[in-house]
Amino acid sequence: MNRRDFFRLASMAGAGVSAAGLSGLVRAATPAQLGTVPTNTGISGRVVVIGGGMAGATVAKYLRLWGGTGVAVTLVERETTYASNILSNLVLNGQRTMTSLQFGYSNLATRYGIRLVKGDVTAIDSVGHSVSLADGSKLPYDRLVVAPGIDFDTIPGLETAAAQAKVPHAWKAGPQTTILRNQLVAMKPGGVFVMTIPAKPYRCPPGPYERACVVADWLKKNRAGSKVIVLDANPGITAEPLAFANAFNVVHKGVIDYRPGAVINSIDASTMTLNTNFGNLQANVINAIPAHRAGKVIIDNGLANVGGRWAGVDVLTYQSTAAPGIHVIGDAAATTQPKAGHIANQEAKICADAIVRLLAGRSPDPSPITNSACYSPITSDTASWLTAVFAYDPVSGSMLPVPGASGEATARSQDNYKEMFKWFNTLMEDSFA
Amino acid sequence: MNRKISRLRALLWLPIALASTCVAAQTVTTAPPAGRLLASNCFQCHGFNGKSSIGFERLAGESSNEIYKELREMRTKSRPDIMDMHARGYSDAQIRLIADYLSKQR
Repeated sequence: MNRRDFFRLASMAGAGVSAAGLSGLVRAATPAQLGTVPTNTGISGRVVVIGGGMAGATVAKYLRLWGGTGVAVTLVERETTYASNILSNLVLNGQRTMTSLQFGYSNLATRYGIRLVKGDVTAIDSVGHSVSLADGSKLPYDRLVVAPGIDFDTIPGLETAAAQAKVPHAWKAGPQTTILRNQLVAMKPGGVFVMTIPAKPYRCPPGPYERACVVADWLKKNRAGSKVIVLDANPGITAEPLAFANAFNVVHKGVIDYRPGAVINSIDASTMTLNTNFGNLQANVINAIPAHRAGKVIIDNGLANVGGRWAGVDVLTYQSTAAPGIHVIGDAAATTQPKAGHIANQEAKICADAIVRLLAGRSPDPSPITNSACYSPITSDTASWLTAVFAYDPVSGSMLPVPGASGEATARSQDNYKEMFKWFNTLMEDSFA
Repeated sequence: MNRKISRLRALLWLPIALASTCVAAQTVTTAPPAGRLLASNCFQCHGFNGKSSIGFERLAGESSNEIYKELREMRTKSRPDIMDMHARGYSDAQIRLIADYLSKQR
């Protein structure tokens, strides 16, 4: 498929998807509400963005909104649409479809003048300031933003594609989410669903616990007598400890069997057996979420200078500490902030603001603030929430939680569940519309 | 004589040099509006520049004092909801910058 086809597909997808993807909206925002790209900022430069997830889409949009028409932004993405990880646990209990979680890129092109390039990056030339694509073309840049998200380690026993399809992680929303949904539906009463949670840092800290709750809630109502065994590599619940301890011990008591400190030695997909420090466990469905590392483009281009897995950055600009002129945002970056879509959106704004200032010969904002917020469904009609605010600490050079400004809901509620969809719609609008 | 000519030549270049400095000076841009980056923490839920139409309250064009007062009140709620908790992340000065920025949006 050539580039022109991609543009056509992207606009088609965008048209269909905005209606489907934002179907929960009472009404869509007008162009005046969304903002327009200014023409006379006097700032100019070429910025290439690799990756069109929450971070990449947002940085592309805000570079234009804040930098103006003189800042030429090219977004390189290999997929035609973005599949939201947020709310993808609700595909498992049938409350959302994968189609309703798709977001196209056509708004970014038509409303903000971002150039879309569908392609795979083969190399970054950090000295010559250009990105090479698989089709042989090169994209020169003054500033490069890399936002590839995460990749996964391989769990011993799951080396083949067939084994990975039988034991899905479903931790990147997409075909694996549908596989896991189908496996859940195929379970019989009295079945066993085992999920494994990797050691920190992983994408969306409350996400695995939320999934355990959503699956347990569905099984209780639809496959009586089934169990959810949660094997957590961490020493305890890593996010929303009150909400999830209550969910495991009270709301879903007798269904969820939570086991911290788990070690997964191997998984045999043919016998559906996990070899663990708790012995061998047999399951009807295994949802194994492997340990994470930054996306391949980070590792391949020498940007993974934190433990060989993550990209070190200066959080005033998100500039890589391994290569000048290259910025890394979102889940691939090694920061003190959680790996999650809401905060990736805010990191993108800090980065866009810094790049616009740098292109204008200014210094970055010396005291940025970011925030993380999310809602976690506990049942099919109740949710809890989590929020945190991070401020730049010049002593450590990192983003530290503002004391007293982090916390979780005191109790799950139906109001929270309804607010969750408002939050999702506005967050996706801020990133993709 | 030669030295004089070269000095003259140097002087001839001076206006050009000055002119190019002026050109450079002309491209110097205005600084980003105060409070914009701070206020962008609101946009995920309240829309770009607080102009929400689909989610939580619209903040654009509200009175600066009203936004300031509300955010400060949120910080003291004993059973904080998500926004009451979030408001605790900002100092008075930062809340003032956010409120001023949002109040100017139309």
